[in-house]
Amino acid sequence: MGGFSELVKNFDKTRHYIRDFFIYGFKVRGDFERKSKRTYDDEKRRIESWLSDYMKYDNSQHRKKVAISLDSGCISENPLYNAYYSKSFTPNDIKLHFFIIDTLIDGNFMSLKEILLKMDKSYNELFEMQTVRKKLLEYVEEGIILTKKVKKTSYFRLSPDTVGDFTEKYEGLADAVKFFSETQKFGVIGNSILKSAGIRNDIFVTKHNYIVHTLEDIIISEIIEAIENKKYISVVNFRNKDKTINNIIPLQIMSSLETGRRYLAMYVDKRFTSLRLDFTEKIITGNICDYYDEIYSQYMNCCKYCFNASFGPWKNYLKTETVTIDFFIDEINEKYIIERLEREKRNGILEKTGNNYFRLTIKTLDSNELIPWIRTFTGRIISLKSSNADVTERFCNDIRQLKNVIYKDGEL
Amino acid sequence: MKIFHEIYSNYFRIASEILKFPEITRDSKNKIISELGFTETNAHIPDDLWGLLQKNQYGNYIPVIKNKPVSILTGIQKRWLMAKLESPEILLFLEKNTIDSLKKRLGNVKPLYSEKHFRYTDRFSDGDDFSDMNYQKNFRKIVSAVKKHEVTEINFVSRNNKNLKGLYIPLKIQYSPKNNRFRILAFSVQKYRTSVINIGRITDIKNTGMIFTENISVERYFNEHKCHEPVTVRVSTGRNTTERFFMEFAPYEKRTEYDSETGVCMVQLWYDRQDETELLIRLLSYGAMLEIVSPPDFRRKAKERIDRQYELLHKVM
Repeated sequence: MGGFSELVKNFDKTRHYIRDFFIYGFKVRGDFERKSKRTYDDEKRRIESWLSDYMKYDNSQHRKKVAISLDSGCISENPLYNAYYSKSFTPNDIKLHFFIIDTLIDGNFMSLKEILLKMDKSYNELFEMQTVRKKLLEYVEEGIILTKKVKKTSYFRLSPDTVGDFTEKYEGLADAVKFFSETQKFGVIGNSILKSAGIRNDIFVTKHNYIVHTLEDIIISEIIEAIENKKYISVVNFRNKDKTINNIIPLQIMSSLETGRRYLAMYVDKRFTSLRLDFTEKIITGNICDYYDEIYSQYMNCCKYCFNASFGPWKNYLKTETVTIDFFIDEINEKYIIERLEREKRNGILEKTGNNYFRLTIKTLDSNELIPWIRTFTGRIISLKSSNADVTERFCNDIRQLKNVIYKDGEL
Repeated sequence: MKIFHEIYSNYFRIASEILKFPEITRDSKNKIISELGFTETNAHIPDDLWGLLQKNQYGNYIPVIKNKPVSILTGIQKRWLMAKLESPEILLFLEKNTIDSLKKRLGNVKPLYSEKHFRYTDRFSDGDDFSDMNYQKNFRKIVSAVKKHEVTEINFVSRNNKNLKGLYIPLKIQYSPKNNRFRILAFSVQKYRTSVINIGRITDIKNTGMIFTENISVERYFNEHKCHEPVTVRVSTGRNTTERFFMEFAPYEKRTEYDSETGVCMVQLWYDRQDETELLIRLLSYGAMLEIVSPPDFRRKAKERIDRQYELLHKVM
C-alpha cells in the first residue's frame, strides 16, 4: 500500500483539509500550499476513504476540483464524525485493549502481576510489565478501568458500566442520544455511544445543520476545561502559525446559527474580543487567572449589547451605538414580518408608530454587525438612522449599487 | 480524557464485532469490515486481526479471547451524558424520575460542559417550550410513531390559524437549532403526499395502532420538496464575501465554479422549496457583493424587493 494508512495520529493535520473540501468545494491541488503535494495526495485519499459517498469531482477547467458535497438537512448521521474514528494505533494497543477487557471481565480487582500472569496463560503472550501498566493507567484515565491502592499495590478492575446497561435499561435514553448525537456541543460523543451500542439514528434530521462544527469539538473541550478552571490559554492559529496569541482569558463559545461562524469570546490585551474557532489550530492551557470572576462579570454586562460577536471597533471600543430602523409593514397581510422582528431583535425595542409603520431601536457595540440582518428586510425599510453615520451610508449605497449596477432594468 | 482516541476508532469497533463470533468465516469477517469500515479498510486490516484471531482446521477464524468483548461507557461519554441530563430538551425523552436515577447512577461525574459555556447570538426567541407537559406527551407519541411507521391522527393549528385534522405517518422529526423547534416530516395518508407539521402547533395526537405497510421513506419528502432548478449566484471576493458565503451556506448541497482570473465565484444551491423566502432574504443580506443570476423567477423576486427598497429610500432618506 506504499505506506498509506487510512488512520491518522494527529487530528489537526486533517481538520483543515476536510474543512476546505467541505466549505469551499472549488479548491484544486495547487491551492493547498501549506504542505507538500504528497501530503495533499495522502490527505485527499484518506478523506475519500472516510467520506466516499459524499465526494464530488469536477474537471471542467482542466484542473481536478475535489469537494465534499451534501445537503446536511437530509442526513441522519454526520459523516465528518469519521475523522474522529480514524486514530492510528499500534498492534500492541489493539491486542492489549481486548486482552485487558477479557482478563478483567469478571469484575474482580486484580494486581498488575496477576493480570500479566493471566494474560500469559490465556493468550500465551508475554507483555512487558511497563507496557501493560501504562495501558492500564491510560484506561483508568479514560474511565474504562477503575483502580484502588492497597498498601503499595495498585489493583485494577473493569468499570461495570457497559454501554448497553444505559441504553437498554433507561427508557427513552437511546432516543435522547440519537437526538443529541446530531446537535452541536459534542454530538460526536453521542454518536460514539450509538456506535458502541449498535444503534442508528432512525428518528431525527437537522435543519440549519453546520456539520463542519464537529471538527472544532476537540479544541472546545480544552477551552471549556480552561474556563472551568479559570485559566489563561494561548492560541495557535491555522492562518498565522508563527503568531501565537498568549495570555488569553477564555470566556464563552459564541455561535451564530445563521452564519455558521463560531467564536471564542475572550479577554486579551485589556480588551474583550472574539476569535474564529475554525481558524484555531491549537490551545495551550496556562496558569490560573486571579481576577477571572471580575472579567467574566464585565463580559456578561457587555454581552447584552453584542448583536453578534463584536465588542466594537478599535476606536469606539465598548461604546454603545444606537440604530433606529423604520419599517413599512402591512400589518394585516404581513403579520409574519412583525413576528420575525419580535423574535430576531435581540435587545431591540419594537414600537408601532402608525398604521403599518413600525420602529425598531437597537443599542449595540458595533452597528456594522447589523447591516447583513437589516438587508434581509430589503423592500420594507423606510429609514435607517445610526449614531454611526457610516452604517446608514453603507446601506443606502448598497441599495443604489444593487439597483443601478447589478439588477439593471430589462436584465431579468 | 480524549475525544480523539483509538478506543472509538472504526478499526477497534470492527475488531469488537468480529470477536463476538465464536467462529467466523473469511467472507463473514470481510462483510463486517465492509459494512463498518471505510472504503479501503479491507486492505488494511490483517487477516489474523493483529493476532486476535486464529485459524482452525476448517479454515475459519476463532477469537483468541475467551469472552465476548463488552463496550464500556467511557469517562468522557459519562460526562457528556451528565451534561445532556441538564439540557432543556432532555425532558422530551425522559421522565423526571428517570433523569434523577440516571444522575444517581452516573454518580459524581462532572458534566462535560454547562449551558453557560455557550451563547447562541441569533437563536430565535420564540422557540418551542420543551417544559410544556402536553408538548412532551405529543413528542413521545410521535417518536413512537416514527419508529413503528404508525398511522397517527393529528389535530393541529395551521399557519393561517385554522384547526386541521388528518391521518399522517410521521417519517422523521426535524429539529432546527436556529428556530429551536421540532417539526414532523410526515406523509399524509389522505392526500397521499408529504408535508410538515410544527410539533408546537399540535393540539392533539392519537396513535391509531395501524402500521403503514407501504414503504415510504423520508427521501420521498426530500424529493417532493426539492427545488426544480437550483439558484445560481455570483459571489464577489471583496469584504471577505466568499469566505462568509461558503461558511453560511455550508449546509446546502452546492456546486461551485471559481474563476481565478476574475475572482468571481458562481455557485449553484439546491434548496427545499418551502424555504425559498428564507433563502432569498439570506442572499439579499450580502447586498451588492452577491448577485442572483437565475432562475429568472427567483431573480425577479429579488429585483422587486430591491426596486421597492430603492423607491422607499429615494422618497424618504
